[in-house]
Amino acid sequence: MENIESFFKPSSVAVIGASATKGKVGNIVINNIIFGSKSNQENAIVGGFKGNIYPINPQLNEISGLKVYKSLREIPSKVDMAVICIPPKGVKDAIEDCGKSGVKSIVIITAGFSETGKEGGKIEQEILDTAKKYDIRIIGPNCLGIISTYADLNATFGDAVPGRGPISFVSQSGALCTSIIQYSFEEFLGFSNFISIGNKSDVDDANLIEYFHKDPYTKCIMLYIESLKDAREFFHTARRVVRDKPIVAFKSGYTEEGARATSSHTGSIAGSDAAYEAAFKQAGVLRAKTLSQLFDASRALAYQPVPKGENIAILTNAGGPGVLAADKAYSLGLKLAELSDETMGELNKVCPPNWSHRNPVDIIGDASASRYDDSLKILMNAKEIDGVILLLSPTAKTDALNIAYRIVDIHETTGKPITVSFIGMVAQTSENYLDSKGIPEIEYPERAVFAMHALMERMKFLKKEELM
Amino acid sequence: MTEEKPDAISEQFTNVLKSGKTVLTLEESRKVMELSGVPFNKSGLAKTEEDAVELAKKIGYPLVMKIVSPQIIHKTEVGGVKVNIGSDEELKKAYNEIIASAKAKVPDAEIQGILLEEMVSGTELIIGTTTDPQFGHMIMFGIGGIFVEVYKDVSFRLIPISAGDANEMLNELQGGALLKGVRGLPGADPKQLVEILMSVSKLVEDHPEIAEMDLNPLMITKRGTIAVDARILLNEPTK
Repeated sequence: MENIESFFKPSSVAVIGASATKGKVGNIVINNIIFGSKSNQENAIVGGFKGNIYPINPQLNEISGLKVYKSLREIPSKVDMAVICIPPKGVKDAIEDCGKSGVKSIVIITAGFSETGKEGGKIEQEILDTAKKYDIRIIGPNCLGIISTYADLNATFGDAVPGRGPISFVSQSGALCTSIIQYSFEEFLGFSNFISIGNKSDVDDANLIEYFHKDPYTKCIMLYIESLKDAREFFHTARRVVRDKPIVAFKSGYTEEGARATSSHTGSIAGSDAAYEAAFKQAGVLRAKTLSQLFDASRALAYQPVPKGENIAILTNAGGPGVLAADKAYSLGLKLAELSDETMGELNKVCPPNWSHRNPVDIIGDASASRYDDSLKILMNAKEIDGVILLLSPTAKTDALNIAYRIVDIHETTGKPITVSFIGMVAQTSENYLDSKGIPEIEYPERAVFAMHALMERMKFLKKEELM
Repeated sequence: MTEEKPDAISEQFTNVLKSGKTVLTLEESRKVMELSGVPFNKSGLAKTEEDAVELAKKIGYPLVMKIVSPQIIHKTEVGGVKVNIGSDEELKKAYNEIIASAKAKVPDAEIQGILLEEMVSGTELIIGTTTDPQFGHMIMFGIGGIFVEVYKDVSFRLIPISAGDANEMLNELQGGALLKGVRGLPGADPKQLVEILMSVSKLVEDHPEIAEMDLNPLMITKRGTIAVDARILLNEPTK
């Protein structure tokens, strides 16, 4: 565990294969570590890694103003972590050097190992054996690298870095990492740790989940899984960690196990997905079936409080979206609260006579910011309601920005979850405001419902385990 | 659970593997499942026509008759199965027909007798286990019968399961209403279903040499949920 920690809180980092040539991976990585990387968020990594940085390249003297070392042995002080981006054939020797210099952890960005076939697999095993000899932990090979936002460390060859925040993400796809960073800008998602896990030759999902469990910055763990190295270990670790922190997982590859030797009914029904489905359910891991579900659920769980009960209200200024959201809510097993006489009476006072008089609460197309404000206050404070899904269909009367302000104010006082859809609106000031305040705002109403569903599932899990 | 039970099961498996097989016969599978606490329909082996009549008194009509011979795997294809036997006369007639048909179709078959089984009806369920290449043993529960592979109305969990897991499995079926009983069919006692699921999970947990098994069908009858057919496959022993 101590060595795992040195990936995310190293005191010093060496880059083996640092380059001065623009566009080379070794150049991007060293510059990302030195300078951080571009981000549009207030709380982004500024100014890069604060610990000692040691570029290593036998042919160079200086990169971006830093002294370059010929080898690890030349470095006068201790190196915690190394990032390797040299061609595959030199990697084994590089690890031997790391071992002799007391390096604790290595990120191998270099590709060309087990993912290429048997020969590559053999080299990967040799690398692993060498690392084991020195008690070194390895992330990768064949990955984009890792980001630890609270350590100001961007050890990737990506072109951007997400802002700081409560989500820790592990991805088996490096490409997905860069896409998610882009997405995170738009949605104001903040990350504590961001790991492209590559071939999982050593450090795997279970090790990282275990670390995030203790990481004070991590509130929600988000996983993109293509395959697991030790499925049972993952299961046991996830089951333990999820009691304290929610885990949302996306598993890709619904392929049937070809030619499974079976002659039982049970064996023939069980495709490769049945075990994942079972394991996630049994462990209490929330399974996302699409990427949007992965984002929406993780956002809600990272930023919103867990509801006390399962009754929701839908607040809308139009009938159609209200019905659509209600349908989605039913299909996900959410309960629409029955409004009490008291709530009805209060809504009667602030709404025109033709409001829906039931849940979904349709406060009519001419709803102003103040009507939204009054109605939302009533619903969020109602005893029979545990959370609110707020929908807004733009009309000429809509003052989205003012509604957004009111939502944030009310949300702060109630401790109940809220998810929002300003339907069809994308990247406008009102939505950015909500997103930046941790209110999941999604342009599609069904997705706002799913975000609430994720919170309800968490509540049910915690109640089942008698943790709330 | 007494101490002898797991031993008897291990012994059964050892004998099967010693004989070079990995698939247990219905009779062997049934014995193992009964030792594990899974209830079955009443049955007995009749070696003669007279035996059969005596046995039928204990089991009660209607009943099912099945040929028992190590050489005959597919009993129906050799005329080795008769159902809905309602009286002593029908029983005697069927007994002789089955023996004659089996002898004619598989002349070198060693016929050990005819299995008489209580004929039960009701909603058909399935409980099974299999081995996932990554996660290992898992258990399945669902709506059984011959269309089980068509509808796939089933739920899986990794073994071992808790009582909570078992309860969730019951609640996950599309056709969950069938468990409560529909159209005059008897409903199942969820407590008993949970017990059976836990017994099967325990059996596989204690005997990881089990590769796969089916209890199909498992019938919801007026006197409880009982298994009617069982099939156990063992892993090839490692040499």
